[in-house]
Amino acid sequence: MSFPLLSIKKLNKSFQRDQNNLTVLDGIHLDIKQGEFISIVGSSGCGKSTLLRLIAGLDPDYQGEILLNKIPIQGTDLKRGLIFQEHRLLPWLTVSENIHLALEETGLSRSEKNARVKEHIEIVGLIGFENAYPHELSGGMAQRVAIARGLVNKPDILLLDEPFGALDAMTRSHLQAELQRIWQHEKITMILVTHDIEEAVYLGDSVIVMSARPGKIKEIIPIPLAHPRHKDSESLFNFRNQALHLLDHTA
Amino acid sequence: MSQLLSLKGALQQPVVLLQGLVLPVLLLVLWQYNSELGSSHAYAFVPLQNIYSASLQLLETGELWVNTWGSLKKAELGFLLGSTAGLILGALLAYSKVFNAFVSPLFNSIRQVPLLGLTPLIALWFGNGEEAKIFIIALASFFPLVINTFQGLSHYDEKYSEVARIYQFSFWREFKRIRLPQALPHILTGLNLAVPFTWITTTASELLFNAGAGLGNLMMKAEINAEMDILLVCAMTVTISGIFMTTCIHFLSKRLLQWRA
Repeated sequence: MSFPLLSIKKLNKSFQRDQNNLTVLDGIHLDIKQGEFISIVGSSGCGKSTLLRLIAGLDPDYQGEILLNKIPIQGTDLKRGLIFQEHRLLPWLTVSENIHLALEETGLSRSEKNARVKEHIEIVGLIGFENAYPHELSGGMAQRVAIARGLVNKPDILLLDEPFGALDAMTRSHLQAELQRIWQHEKITMILVTHDIEEAVYLGDSVIVMSARPGKIKEIIPIPLAHPRHKDSESLFNFRNQALHLLDHTA
Repeated sequence: MSQLLSLKGALQQPVVLLQGLVLPVLLLVLWQYNSELGSSHAYAFVPLQNIYSASLQLLETGELWVNTWGSLKKAELGFLLGSTAGLILGALLAYSKVFNAFVSPLFNSIRQVPLLGLTPLIALWFGNGEEAKIFIIALASFFPLVINTFQGLSHYDEKYSEVARIYQFSFWREFKRIRLPQALPHILTGLNLAVPFTWITTTASELLFNAGAGLGNLMMKAEINAEMDILLVCAMTVTISGIFMTTCIHFLSKRLLQWRA
């Protein structure tokens, strides 16, 4: 592939608040290749979640270019999936029905939809919970359903907005490993926004370190380690320290 | 022996149930006591045994069945028409700001109109028959449904609309999958509120337009003939019908809202 899958050029974003112009993103340049895993870290207020919302197409109000396969994005698209920090499952639908939501506006046949839902329930390890309602699930299980919903329509890019932020340490660690396995298996390009540096380094092919007010890319750290990785590896630890050092100087 | 056993069974029932029975039983005893004070008292407080025999007699002649069925038909039809219309108007008010601006001042004024006082007018519009009654009954469920549907559909969670946008939902899919289920608890509350109004207007409309079968008509006749026992049997039947409808809505709610913790 000669050109990047996703290309962001001179991206600026500002909010108008009480007649003050607040710049949130300032001159973002970013190229992401097909199949890459990109982690974005930065302190709160650096605009990393805003960046993800812009790529998702939830907010059309920005300057600059966001190109997917050389074509400027327009609004939301099934090719760009988004997983939110909270699971955002619809409480009145079962696990199966919630995953099914992502397929309802696709042209797939009914049997194909059902087969895909079944397959993805398997991928996230929730067999036996197909007919459970969200209130019957733990936080970790609900987030797995959200991941299955994000994957089921096979987007070109999956955007993850601090998906494990609200989970306990054990569950988080487990789901991180699982996400790595799914990413390797499905070969979907993923962009993960997180405030957890360990997570960013563990999963990312590159870690993008952002500085705050206004949000800028401070540095892109390539992590040239083969997947699957292990959390306790020493080289991972060194990259972590490098990123941590950069972040300390931005704060 | 068997009496003892059943007594034991009754004692094992939840205490709450017994507590709920204390006041009704007390009132019945007071009622019966009053009825035995003299003949004028017996007219105002019909002895329980008279009510019992009156209901048996009405059942035997079939009068109670015919009139209950007449009322039930009208109540259900009016309830159905009124709630459906209320649902539609409530949804339109919630979805369209322009429509809301045009309609809601008029709606809020009409809501205050003493409907039953306008029966002569309604009779002129719809005639003296069943249509006029059904119109009045329908209005009783119409208003609570408009208000509750509007509230349910307006108080809307932005985070689910983002999910709808991410998955490219059409207008109708978002309505069906997200907004309607979210409004459902409110709508069911509206239906619940509408039941007593439905029966009040059913009885009242039958009292005002006294043609055809209905418990209100039976009550009117009883009033003219000073048969207070029959009057009370009718009131009891209306109460039971109301409880029946409320119970149906209760089970419907339980089924539709089983997703709630």
